[in-house]
Amino acid sequence: MSDINRTIEELLVDYAGALRDGCIPVFLKSLTREEGRRIASSRGFWDATEAVRILNSVGFADKVLFPKVSLFISRVDAEIVSRLKKARASSRRKRSARARPLTKTKE
Amino acid sequence: MNRRLRNALKGLTDPDIERRRRVMDSFVRATFESFIRYLYRYLGNEVECEDVLEDVYADIWEKPERLRNVTSDRELLRTVYLYYMRKRLREVYRRINRNLHLSQIDLKNLVAPELGVLEMTSQSELRQLLRRVLNRLKARERRAIELWMEGMSNRAIANELKTTVGAVKMLKFRTMLKLKKMLCDHCRED
Repeated sequence: MSDINRTIEELLVDYAGALRDGCIPVFLKSLTREEGRRIASSRGFWDATEAVRILNSVGFADKVLFPKVSLFISRVDAEIVSRLKKARASSRRKRSARARPLTKTKE
Repeated sequence: MNRRLRNALKGLTDPDIERRRRVMDSFVRATFESFIRYLYRYLGNEVECEDVLEDVYADIWEKPERLRNVTSDRELLRTVYLYYMRKRLREVYRRINRNLHLSQIDLKNLVAPELGVLEMTSQSELRQLLRRVLNRLKARERRAIELWMEGMSNRAIANELKTTVGAVKMLKFRTMLKLKKMLCDHCRED
């Protein structure tokens, strides 16, 4: 991915490789201004990316070892609990903020 | 859609947040496999997939209204992608966007695109479809794609096909375009 001024074919192949290897950020960062323009104006590139994604899902997603669902559920639950806590804390803050001016006027 | 998932979906839209939290367990069990494989299509990285999916499920728990009228598996995946996954997918790369030479719109289209005919085809259907379509390619084109799917580098493919790296790149680009067209034609016929 170090070549400068890659052709659209090379860019597509590099994108496909990055997606296959799970390093899309490296591909994105490697793009030069000229290459960015080339991608934007190429209909072929956008058409081919769809096929690349399909190949990626069919060819590689089945081989990847994802975590066990029971372990993942505990992660989701922890995230939900943290959001619940945040929501409760912010509503408490709002309530106390609303109550404060009242106490001031009493004084 | 199976009964378990239907019941989970019904429970998800319950106004009581604690009940929704309990229902998430069966919802995650019923959808985890299909959702994480779907995300892999866009990220190609299992760690990123897990992180994004965790947020997606928490978002669903927080705002499940979009799933109220979902009646089929395909509709569920479509709705979850459009209203929950896309937002999170875009956030994955937002932080590096400042230094990129790609416009915001192009970045969005690359990492979380609009749904095409192919994007909504299920994994098993795609597998069958791809097998059929690969058989219709020229021997050299099919070999290049198969080697790539085995994890080979461009140089290794070039050695195998006894050609140059540049020629392999051209061949792959042309074959991808051909594949896309053939897959779309098949989907429309079906």
